[in-house]
Amino acid sequence: MNLMEHLQPHVIIPLKIGSIDISISNAVISMWIACLLVFLTLTFAGRIGRLVPRGLQNFMESLVSFVRQSLVHEILGEEGMVWFPFIATLFFFILFCNLIGLVPKMFTATSNINVTASLAVIVFICTQGAGIAKHGVAGYCKTFVPKGLPKGIAGVVLTVFMVFVEFISQLARPFSLAVRLFANMTAGHMVILVFISMIFMFQGVVARVFVTPMSLVMAVVMMAFEIFVGLLQAFIFAILASIYISLAVHPEH
Amino acid sequence: MDATGLAQLVPGLAKLGGGLSIGLGALGTGIGMGILVGKAIEGMARQPEAAGLLRTTMFIGVAFVEALALYALVITFLLIF
Repeated sequence: MNLMEHLQPHVIIPLKIGSIDISISNAVISMWIACLLVFLTLTFAGRIGRLVPRGLQNFMESLVSFVRQSLVHEILGEEGMVWFPFIATLFFFILFCNLIGLVPKMFTATSNINVTASLAVIVFICTQGAGIAKHGVAGYCKTFVPKGLPKGIAGVVLTVFMVFVEFISQLARPFSLAVRLFANMTAGHMVILVFISMIFMFQGVVARVFVTPMSLVMAVVMMAFEIFVGLLQAFIFAILASIYISLAVHPEH
Repeated sequence: MDATGLAQLVPGLAKLGGGLSIGLGALGTGIGMGILVGKAIEGMARQPEAAGLLRTTMFIGVAFVEALALYALVITFLLIF
């Protein structure tokens, strides 16, 4: 039994432009649904406009103000509030993608490395863009060299080495962002899948009678844990994106 | 053992390596995460008013530590499937 094929996207409508494959797979459809749900929930929650919020409005308002306060304002400061829409979009999109994957028959878009890598590359481009917009191209290149290096030949060697290290760390960030989200979602859904497929792995009637209730209970427990992990990973992705942007804008930290 | 016999061993060895990869990866990260969360709770108990800040920082740290186990997990996936 190959469990991995449950996490592969299936092509629903094959589409090609030249040699580029842009087929509509179930991953694409679940991302569309996530977009639509983000749009609908935030729009409806925003349109209610009760002075004392209740229900959906209360929930969404607390989430948005959480993103605004602890993900953007505390890290990027007052002038960094221009990044609030970007960070909030990342947070809600990843959150809904993660949670949609828990609905049976739906595909977790974030358990596909291509989706998370695209998100990480967007964050990478925004980070570099924020640094260049703040310091200019030459000024941003200067932030790669730490201050207080010794003069002379040792300083030159150290500068080359430090710039090399800084380059590696810059390139490792989108990689670790992408792999963290992808591996968390894949592993979590794989665990649920393994618990469910244990029912089919055991053949004897007696074994099944004992194994089935246990694996169902464990699957439910893991699903509850996955809701928490989905929230946590969306939070982590958004907070790391804003930390990276703040590191590019204020390099002295 | 001849070449074909060795070739037959390779998938099994790959699975063994995959199991060892996630096992040893989780071992180190488990110790690290235990220390991390323990220290965070120590800090929270000592200074309950800083609990919110500590919790946020702890989650970021946990994410970094956890990423190491997840790299091992990716290697496991690559080796097993």
